[in-house]
Amino acid sequence: MGLLLALLLVAIGLSALIGSEWIPVPAVFAILLREISGGLLGTPCAALAPTSRECTIWTEIVWSGRMPSVLVAVFAGAALAVSGGTLQGVFRNPLADPFLLGLSSGAAMGASLLLTFQIAVAHQAVLLPVFAFGGALVPGLIIYAAAHRTRRSPETLVLTGVALSALFSAMLATFLFYNPSASVQLSFWLLGNLQGETWTRAGILGGVVVAGATLIALSGQELNVLQLGPEVAESVGVEAARHTRRLILLSTIITAVAVAFTGVIGFVGLVSPHVIRRLVGPDYRRVLPVSALFGALFLLFAWDLAQRIIPPVPVPVGIPTSFVGAPFFLYLLYRRRPAER
Amino acid sequence: MTDRPEGPSDGPEELAFEEVSIAYRGRPAVRSVSLTVRPGEVVALAGPNGSGKSTLIRAAVGLAEGSRGLVRVGGYDVRRASPVERARRIAWMPQEEPLGDNVPLADYVEFGRYAWIPRWTPPSPSDRAAVQRAIAEVDLAALAHRGIAELSGGERQRARLARALAQDTPVLLLDEPTAHLDIGHQLEVLERIRSFAHRERRSVLIALHDLNMAARFTDRIAVLSHGRLVALGAPAEVLSSELMETVWGVVAEIRRDPASGLPFLLPRLPHARAEGRPTPLGRPRVHLLAGGGSGAPLMRALFDRGYEVSVGVVPLFDSDTELAQELGLPVVAELPFAPIGAEALERLDRSLEAAAAVVVAPFPVGPTNLANLERLRSWVGRRPIALVEQPPGTRWDYADGRATEVREELLRNGATRVADLGAAVEWVGRVALSAPDQ
Repeated sequence: MGLLLALLLVAIGLSALIGSEWIPVPAVFAILLREISGGLLGTPCAALAPTSRECTIWTEIVWSGRMPSVLVAVFAGAALAVSGGTLQGVFRNPLADPFLLGLSSGAAMGASLLLTFQIAVAHQAVLLPVFAFGGALVPGLIIYAAAHRTRRSPETLVLTGVALSALFSAMLATFLFYNPSASVQLSFWLLGNLQGETWTRAGILGGVVVAGATLIALSGQELNVLQLGPEVAESVGVEAARHTRRLILLSTIITAVAVAFTGVIGFVGLVSPHVIRRLVGPDYRRVLPVSALFGALFLLFAWDLAQRIIPPVPVPVGIPTSFVGAPFFLYLLYRRRPAER
Repeated sequence: MTDRPEGPSDGPEELAFEEVSIAYRGRPAVRSVSLTVRPGEVVALAGPNGSGKSTLIRAAVGLAEGSRGLVRVGGYDVRRASPVERARRIAWMPQEEPLGDNVPLADYVEFGRYAWIPRWTPPSPSDRAAVQRAIAEVDLAALAHRGIAELSGGERQRARLARALAQDTPVLLLDEPTAHLDIGHQLEVLERIRSFAHRERRSVLIALHDLNMAARFTDRIAVLSHGRLVALGAPAEVLSSELMETVWGVVAEIRRDPASGLPFLLPRLPHARAEGRPTPLGRPRVHLLAGGGSGAPLMRALFDRGYEVSVGVVPLFDSDTELAQELGLPVVAELPFAPIGAEALERLDRSLEAAAAVVVAPFPVGPTNLANLERLRSWVGRRPIALVEQPPGTRWDYADGRATEVREELLRNGATRVADLGAAVEWVGRVALSAPDQ
């Protein structure tokens, strides 16, 4: 866990180097150091750049342009990974993932309402997550009811998600035609976009994700016991229904907020917990926090990669994650799990 | 957050069901059952599939919706309790449950400590000790660090039992704890449960299909039928042929183990009901003349179909005699190698008198047992008699042709010739069931 954390910090630093503009490495680090320390540390700007105007631009690019995107990638990755791990646990289904279950496209649909109809433009940073949550709640409730009623096969749950995703995508597409001026923004969204983030957005996302993921991780032992089914869990003292509802709600919230700011990014939530279980075992008290770090790293790398595929324009970040995640999903689907059931 | 007091578990407490009724999907599954399990007592819950055993047990864990009546542990109403409070008083081992993740056995058993460990704190030394005790109790200490999915079916079953034991509750509810276990482990697990309950004064309710195991390892047996409690008491009082027939629809004989005095069951095939049932006086009796093992398959076949079978006259220590004694059938026996005496013939007469049909197995006849066949002369016409064909090409008449003579005479006078065992059983079914009451 310490290793992953160190790795993540290094990756955040290195990611600040990547962008359409080339800024010398020492200058980037000096700017980061200076801004983080509030001006106390680091070399004065004049020593780094040929002109002071250049210096101001560089600072603007690194600190106000790149860093928010980097942090949004980190928090969104963590949110999706924790959400994926939690959903896999709650539904006792290795194929669960906020993207595959339709939560992400539900959130995107909710948020797109706001953008398409240009509602309360001034308060979008705050209202966007709220609308996204409203949208994600629809598939959240449907999936909860479907999984709750009878025990179904892992594939049924995912297929329900596929159907819901198709439905929400159709609604999104309708919005695109309704308001073509919003279409560029929306179409980016469908595949995940980390461009043009701001510190406000990173702050909102970070706050919600850290709080939500912490609350989820504190239910780690309950999630462990729930693996024996709700009835056995009740019999040893876990309030199964309450914890299940709570965990799904929290997963929906952090997914919705992540989607509100980044759009639909697939497979981070599916891949991260599986990789981490391989490393630290099945105990959710460890799987969830470590997955969060892994998810953050995963999405950060994907973002770095997205910016380098066709420079100088970044491709949507959902593209690299899908290149990794979709084959992994197929692997999970066709690997028969001899130990499980 | 729920409160989690420290300290040891409560002392011994009884488990009481008071007038418990449970409807499952609108249909009554348990009807007004009252049952108390006292501390230090193991009670078996028996009954056919669907008689409400699991439902009753689930009611005590708060999992049966639509239940009425009271379930309490000591003075404590179980269904009003929070899961944590209940989990400190009642441990439950369900019949089936999802396997879950492949966690190490020790962690798995620790799940049973959930109600005792305050949230977000590591287990205390006493929690760890309880886990180790439970694992030792089911004899899995050597596998404590093995993943649960890597255990064999029997080991996993014991791991589940350990999880329930780790809850350290005054009441234990075990739903078929010996399913998936081989006979050796069945005995071992049940013996451990019993001695644990007696030693630690726990109240234990076990749903068990195997009535012989129930008789051997439990103090009392409670029998459910269609959701009602129809019998309750010590195994020797409860287990009876009548109960087996009314509750399970099985014709069975209850024997007593001479060594332990415990009852044990000897069930017959289910179709006994159809074929062997009968006249108001009881199942028809069939008398079998046999010897030298010739009658064994027939004896077994008739017995399994629910007929009363009597055998004789046969020599003591003959294999037919031994089988008959093993099955608990009335036997007329004579000393080996001695001619059949007058007293034995008299008893044979009484046996034939009581029989609805007589079957003569293809046994070898010599001077000592010729009297068997000769005795039948006076019965031909009074009782239906069937002679099973002697296997072709074998010598069976060691009485200078007199046996063959008697046989022919019987056949002439109305005895029936049947080809083999199957034909004999069929003949008995035809004849004995249509025979007038004796």
